[in-house]
Amino acid sequence: MKFTLLVQLSWRNLWRHRRRTLILITTICVAVGSVLVLNALLRGMQMSMVETAIDNLNGHFKVVAPGYLDDPGIKKSFSFEPSGHPELASYGIRGWTSRVRVPAVIRSERETRGVQFVGVVPGSEDISFLGDVEIDGEYLSGSDDRRILVGHALAQQLETGVGRRVVLITQGVDGGNRESGYRIAGVYDAVGTGIEKAFVFTGITSLQELLAIDAVTEVSVRLTEGVQGPPVLHRLTRTFTDLDVRTWQDLEPQAAMMHEMADATVSIWFLIVMGALIFGLVNTLVTAVMERIRELGMLRAIGMRRGAVIAQVVIESMITMAIGISVGVVLGLLGYFWLADGIDLSAFSEGLELTGMRPELVPRLWAQDVVLVVGLSLALGFLASIYPAQRAVRIQPLDAMRR
Amino acid sequence: MSDLVVDCQGVTRVYGDDAVPVRALQGVDFGVAAGEWTALAGPSGSGKSTLLHLVGGLDRPTDGTVVVDGEELSDLSESQLSDLRLRKVGFVFQAYNLIPVLSAVENVEFIMQLQGTDPAERRERALSVLDQLGLGDIGERRPGELSGGQQQRVAVARAIVTNPVLLLADEPSANLDSATTLELLALLRTINEERGVTIVTATHDPIVMGHASRRVLLRDGRIESDEPAASPPSNA
Repeated sequence: MKFTLLVQLSWRNLWRHRRRTLILITTICVAVGSVLVLNALLRGMQMSMVETAIDNLNGHFKVVAPGYLDDPGIKKSFSFEPSGHPELASYGIRGWTSRVRVPAVIRSERETRGVQFVGVVPGSEDISFLGDVEIDGEYLSGSDDRRILVGHALAQQLETGVGRRVVLITQGVDGGNRESGYRIAGVYDAVGTGIEKAFVFTGITSLQELLAIDAVTEVSVRLTEGVQGPPVLHRLTRTFTDLDVRTWQDLEPQAAMMHEMADATVSIWFLIVMGALIFGLVNTLVTAVMERIRELGMLRAIGMRRGAVIAQVVIESMITMAIGISVGVVLGLLGYFWLADGIDLSAFSEGLELTGMRPELVPRLWAQDVVLVVGLSLALGFLASIYPAQRAVRIQPLDAMRR
Repeated sequence: MSDLVVDCQGVTRVYGDDAVPVRALQGVDFGVAAGEWTALAGPSGSGKSTLLHLVGGLDRPTDGTVVVDGEELSDLSESQLSDLRLRKVGFVFQAYNLIPVLSAVENVEFIMQLQGTDPAERRERALSVLDQLGLGDIGERRPGELSGGQQQRVAVARAIVTNPVLLLADEPSANLDSATTLELLALLRTINEERGVTIVTATHDPIVMGHASRRVLLRDGRIESDEPAASPPSNA
């Protein structure tokens, strides 16, 4: 009953100074809306970096031989029999693939370059960028395909193209050189030229034959969208006891750091914007309280308790915040949907490649972020109202009525 | 003494600090019987408003005791005092002090809302009191749309709608012209006589003093005289 009364009073008090209240609500709307849109853009950047890192032949997890990351090479290969690991087809795993990856030198008639020579199972590479990359020419037909795929940028450097032959030289397990000629099946266009220059692909069996081994250097695992990583990591670690199971964060520490920085940036931006807003809110509430200090004194004189007066001021603040936040969320959603098709950043693609971002920024708005912004805004609104409310009851009713 | 609604014994109220004390009341003994209309009179600074505020539980004495309807006020906490003011005392202030965002009828209902009265009942009682005070047709207007006299009558309606034990009026006629003052006093007399409400009024207005059944004159914080009014004017 009393709560209804307080809400009624607070609501009407808000509209005593209609313009002031509307300006305050507008400010809250803009702050909440802009925080949500920026949040969505930052999350888009964050996820772009994460997806690039995962797509970049890492997956969410990679199984490698101990010491492989410090000294990657064919000496750190291991035997892998898929039938011995049925858990790779279990819940939470979208797909997996095994690869052989060795450092190599590629030589055309005109140029020579250092590359990563990767033997793949073509049909399983839908878990990496190779699965949906644009190819001029043909994709690899199978694990025993002896042709290769080279990146567009590398092909330009080597001054070669589809159908031409190149020579790849690498080192075998015994330390001796292994050399073979390969015909280029296709030239792929990846997101960044760095990838195009780095990777040359062939069928895994073909590369194993060249190296005279029956082993792989990595097994890459990709999670189903929305599945939490730690339980799957735990399962994989228990399965591959003699091997290292590494996360994408271990494999791409720079991207992982950027990922964490994005989290921090979201929080800092929120605190800056809402902090500035809260000062305005406190100022407005103090003004509103001092303007009607006589009335508040009278309310206490006729029997309203201190707590009810405090509650009245707090409710005023919360109503203002609730309206501002609600409209702000709608504004934020409108902004998000307006940008949902993505922002073309291809003009900055070279710079973006260094950060691991794609040239198209697609905003991502997470429900948990919206809940967090709304919750924290309400909490800040509540805290901001405590000081004005305390001022309202600090003065005795008689003193208040004499003013 | 058991029929005293107000019983003050040795009440002293000192404002300011030890260096420059202001003695607003100095050992006042003062009682008000049920159904009495007492006017506290005296020049500015005599202590009449201070005594009224002490009786209303809006202030606490420096020394002495104040008992209202059997409750010793110095024993009550802040919130218990609020409850006492809410349930036993009606206030009429010099500056009306209506809530500007509420209509006249909502202002009258307000205290009943604080008391938790059922919505239908409080609306009925508020309209009934407004009607009795001749304000039946302005119930939906807000204070800003009412004259000073109408606002003061709404304030009286707010003060009496809960049937308080005691009605305290602090300079109720200060902002009213003579004709409106007479109307207000006639209203207070009706409330006093017909409803039996005990009234204490602080005033320096001779017209108000003339309407009370008892006149207590204060000077320099002491009671100088305490006598029944000669012959209060009739409402008739």
